[in-house]
Amino acid sequence: MSTQIQATSRDIDGPLLELKDVTTHFKTERGLVRAVDGVSFTLERGKALGIVGESGSGKTILSRSIMGLLPPRGTIRGGSIKFEGREIGNLDRKAMRSVWGKEMAMIFQDPMTSLNPVMKIGKQIAEPLQIHLGMTKQNAWATAERLMQDVRIPEAKRRLEQYPHEMSGGMRQRVMIAIALACGPTALFADEPTTALDVTVQAQILDLLGEQRKDRNMSLVLVTHDLGVVAGHTDEIAVMYGGKLVEKASTRGLFANMKMPYTEALLLSIPKLEDRSHTRLNAIAGRPPDLVNPPKGCRFSPRCPYAVDKCRDEEPPLIATAEDPNHLYACWYPVGSEAYHEAKVRIAASKDAMSAVAVAGGN
Amino acid sequence: MRYFLQKLSQFAIVFFIVTFGVMVLMRLGLNAPGDPARTLLGGTADQELIASTTAKYRLDSNYFTQYFFWLKGMVTGDMGFSVPNSLPVAQLIKGRVMTTVLLGVYAIVWGIIIAVPFAVRQAYKRDSAFDKIGSGLSFAFVSAPAIVLAPILTLILIKENTITLWWPLNDYQVTFGGWFPRIGNKVYPWQDLGEHFRNFFVPTLVLTLPIAAVFSRLLRGDMVQTLQADFVTLASAKGVSPRRVLWVHALRNSLFSLLTSVGLQIGGIVGGAIVAETFFDLDGMGTMLVVAILSKDLFTVQSAAAILVASVVVVNLTVDLLYAVLDPRIRHARALA
Amino acid sequence: MTTTIAPSTAMTPASPEPAAELAPRKRRFKRPPIGYAFAVVFLVTLTLMAFLADYLPFIPYPDAKILGPDGKVGRYDWGPSWTAWFGTDGVSNDVFSKTIYGARTSLQVGVFATVLGIVVGGALGVIAGYFRGMVDRVVMIITDCLLALPALLLAIILVNRLDDYRLDTAWLGWLSRKWQIVLTLGILAIAPLARIVRAQTLSLREREFVLAARSIGAKPGRVMLREILPNLIPVILTVAFTGLSILIAAEGALAFLGLGVEVGTPTWGKLIDENRNKIDESWWATIFPCMMLFLTVLSFNLIGERLSRRFDIRQAGV
Repeated sequence: MSTQIQATSRDIDGPLLELKDVTTHFKTERGLVRAVDGVSFTLERGKALGIVGESGSGKTILSRSIMGLLPPRGTIRGGSIKFEGREIGNLDRKAMRSVWGKEMAMIFQDPMTSLNPVMKIGKQIAEPLQIHLGMTKQNAWATAERLMQDVRIPEAKRRLEQYPHEMSGGMRQRVMIAIALACGPTALFADEPTTALDVTVQAQILDLLGEQRKDRNMSLVLVTHDLGVVAGHTDEIAVMYGGKLVEKASTRGLFANMKMPYTEALLLSIPKLEDRSHTRLNAIAGRPPDLVNPPKGCRFSPRCPYAVDKCRDEEPPLIATAEDPNHLYACWYPVGSEAYHEAKVRIAASKDAMSAVAVAGGN
Repeated sequence: MRYFLQKLSQFAIVFFIVTFGVMVLMRLGLNAPGDPARTLLGGTADQELIASTTAKYRLDSNYFTQYFFWLKGMVTGDMGFSVPNSLPVAQLIKGRVMTTVLLGVYAIVWGIIIAVPFAVRQAYKRDSAFDKIGSGLSFAFVSAPAIVLAPILTLILIKENTITLWWPLNDYQVTFGGWFPRIGNKVYPWQDLGEHFRNFFVPTLVLTLPIAAVFSRLLRGDMVQTLQADFVTLASAKGVSPRRVLWVHALRNSLFSLLTSVGLQIGGIVGGAIVAETFFDLDGMGTMLVVAILSKDLFTVQSAAAILVASVVVVNLTVDLLYAVLDPRIRHARALA
Repeated sequence: MTTTIAPSTAMTPASPEPAAELAPRKRRFKRPPIGYAFAVVFLVTLTLMAFLADYLPFIPYPDAKILGPDGKVGRYDWGPSWTAWFGTDGVSNDVFSKTIYGARTSLQVGVFATVLGIVVGGALGVIAGYFRGMVDRVVMIITDCLLALPALLLAIILVNRLDDYRLDTAWLGWLSRKWQIVLTLGILAIAPLARIVRAQTLSLREREFVLAARSIGAKPGRVMLREILPNLIPVILTVAFTGLSILIAAEGALAFLGLGVEVGTPTWGKLIDENRNKIDESWWATIFPCMMLFLTVLSFNLIGERLSRRFDIRQAGV
């Protein structure tokens, strides 16, 4: 198997994946939905990138758009997606089929619905092997068994004969990973791979993904709403909001020096271990923007506590920070700037006033 | 196994109630002594024959006794005697049953053969012109009962038509139809396949088209849902060809409504067969039953009804079995039950 | 008989389309689809014509002899023309007129039978679904039994027997052939209606507002009438239209088999039966009643379909 993988991965210098101004719009009854609106980034070989955002931020659409998995009808894709130096953004499903599973693979969110309920596990893993690598059924099943062992499924041989409903969620997600890894892809997209799982299983699955990525020198794109998930398992993080990239940095750099108020809000929304129990969760107020009529100016401005008039009128460009040319952000008054501190003081004052009123009312 | 015993007992209860009900229904009002026998034998029977017939089938006892002896007869193969036909009922049914069975089997098999490819393609190309035309056609055929289709198909396929076209094809004459006989001849496939086809084609079509329409509507609906499921997208993302995604991954997960409806359609098929057999003078169980009911041929009605109910039971049990074959989860649940 | 589970829904929870997640669909007023518009116009016109036929100048009486273009009576093979839109049949009667008068019978029988089925079947369904347990089991056995025998066969037996009873029984004198058919078709409609209503009631009785009413000690009758019944109306309405189409077709089949309404009252099924052997010479006498029956069934189905979309009801194998 290993020889075949090497034959498929071309030795080209340069990044594995290069996105330039990628757009994905949907035609709906209400109008054009700008689900992904001008996203650019590069992903190096063997690296892990986290794409983070709320639901509706376009992160799932972006990952599916890169893979070309969106239904062709009503979908308008633009920009350039280069994979191993080859333009794949304009390929149709037919042309993408040789890439799917073989060079790019995907893990879906819900292992309960992502496996075919009436097909044996073994057959589901063996299928891409037979299609892409031309293996015989026997070879494919033998390889499937090895893959099952790779993803730490006990009693692999017996499990191959089982159906998905006979397995737990965590096991099914391992099967999904085995399917994705089957043909040795160079890029793996994991779309919220742990959201549907128990907390204890989540960590195991993430560790497994990280391990397999290193073993196979594979690039990983981890799509999630949870900054906590990507913190320990990625090299870089891209934050998306309203279909746009709003901040991108190395994982270390992002957590050390967060620029976007939205990123900050995402981080604050994770409950912390040291919080006292029954602490209120810091949910981000308001709703994700309407992507048919996105707000003017910065798309986060209607929900941003620090927003001033300029934010509501002019769209901030994606610029690099002074310290790190690879740390990009799109905000007029980033976290740490003067306006940010002013706003913080202002908010604190109004909060005091509010509580004072509340106290007065209580008396 | 326990599951099937449960089902079977449920079906058995229904079978007994229905056959008993049919018997009572047919005999209600025939209260005077000798009445059932007199009805059975027709107007001209003499007293002695009436007495002997009454004694033979215990027609003077209560319904339960009569039912018991009729059931006993059924089990031993004696279904009673059909006076209007001067034949034992068993023999009468034997001569008729094949026509109706053939019609019914053809209707279901061809219904599925026609419906599946249409529905799969419709679901795959959802909202395309093909889908819309297909949906429109199937909707129309769902609304076309046998009594409507039979004359229309007769007009198109059986009658010899000559139509004179008008402008721009002035006076150009088109001739069509006359391909099939007006009155069906009971030729069985093992006798003469070509003649069988000629005689059974139109009646089969009358039954098949509405059923194919029902099947394709159900399958398309399920298929559209299945195609939105994650595992279908995953199959694509594995690089599986669209054809394989449709026919291997999606189809098997979409067959359940269709399968359920096969069980429900049996009644409709028998109804359609009654009309089609009458219309094309193909004497099968349908025409036999109508005549038997109208002429109060008690034993024929009872026995034929019992056979029909039993066949409904068998089909439904088969459908239940097929569920388990198609879906491992149901197998699993039943094994636990 | 067919208490089959429906695994298809359990297995494929329709994953939201990617776009749906981002753009919640708003319900907007849309032009009614052309099929639905046609169905309503057709049915309204047909009903009006059928019940006002006696007063409409362009509809002759069904037993009036129509003079042909040659000024003579007694030939049937006059095709459609301006004097007789659908042609004339074997006894020189106007087919159009007979078709319209036939609609009167079919619509009446269909509507009355459906109402009967809804009242009895609906009541059985609500009671079975609400009380469950033994009551439910008994109702289910009744519906199983009604469904086990092919519907048309049961109808033939019932109509035939009802006719006999009427002759023997003094107090059944009012039960004319028409009402016998209404009664029979109504009985046929009970089982499917009871099943659908039962299924709906089963889910409704666990809903908050019903639980709330029960928790404050409302009597079962009150809960069923006030809380459950109003919520069943969309389902019942939808099934009623689909049921109407089936019952009208069944009435046609019965009449075709010689179990129609009284002699002298034209119905579609009877017209088809009377003229079917003359398709070669006068196709119009058979085909026009056929088309009328088809269009009526189609229209009721179209309305039923529209309602089921509107109320988001999935009718599995009615």
